[in-house]
Amino acid sequence: MGRPRAFDEDEAVRAAVALFGGRAYDGVSVDDLVSHLGVHRNSLYKTFGSKRGLYLIALRRHLADDVRPLLDALAGASDAAAALRLVTSADLDLLLLAAIERAPVDEEVAAEVTAALAAVDQAIADALGVSADLAAALTAAALGIILRGNPDNAATALAQCLDPLT
Amino acid sequence: MALIRIEGDNLVVVIEGLDKLWAFKGSLTIPLANVRGATVDPGIATEPKGIRAPGSHVPGVIIAGTFHQDGEKVFWDVKDRSKALVIELADEQYTRLVLQVDDPRATVALIESTLTERK
Repeated sequence: MGRPRAFDEDEAVRAAVALFGGRAYDGVSVDDLVSHLGVHRNSLYKTFGSKRGLYLIALRRHLADDVRPLLDALAGASDAAAALRLVTSADLDLLLLAAIERAPVDEEVAAEVTAALAAVDQAIADALGVSADLAAALTAAALGIILRGNPDNAATALAQCLDPLT
Repeated sequence: MALIRIEGDNLVVVIEGLDKLWAFKGSLTIPLANVRGATVDPGIATEPKGIRAPGSHVPGVIIAGTFHQDGEKVFWDVKDRSKALVIELADEQYTRLVLQVDDPRATVALIESTLTERK
């Protein structure tokens, strides 16, 4: 298949995670990818097929590199306050943008986002011994707190209500 | 300009008007199984395109025909680079197609969603 790839695919995908996580899918042009990933345009198409092909690989990479460690950390959470703190301090930029921007128009992205959020719910439910529904509510609240700019008081107030229950 | 549509298991590209003279092609039919993806890419027209044969390249006016670069064969039909899209192929005579369409975003969405449904 022609010449060997003259770039580090792993590094390029990681750079794509940062780019898509910072500027969203529509905000990143192929010109941006070429200049930030250290990849020639032709190699980019040859390796990933399309911008969307690269985006899907970057999203899966983000889930493996950034969301997976969150799940592991959540397993050690002793109360709602700790679980909230872990979720609100994790790097979930690409997951959040994917949920808002791409999941409604791309079923493959939707499937990845749904599975990732369900895994966070499950990790919280297991760690705190609460129902799946309550865990989902906690995840939803934590993501909302991130979107609001992470006001400390909100997480604290919520934890104070929830921790007596768990 | 190109018209792109899905017909059964194929992607059909019809080159419109006088472009087909410069491009030496009226239409292309590609099995969807050989289509890897589509991307809106207005920036591609500014890149080096390789050696043209056959076809026409009048800088600033039209890029049309077959270009050879790094062992790849690329089909071009672009006048208005702001409306360029790239279709990446596998196991085809052409490695990729660079085409001008009326609504690149809608065309990319059509191709990508069709490919997703077929997975």
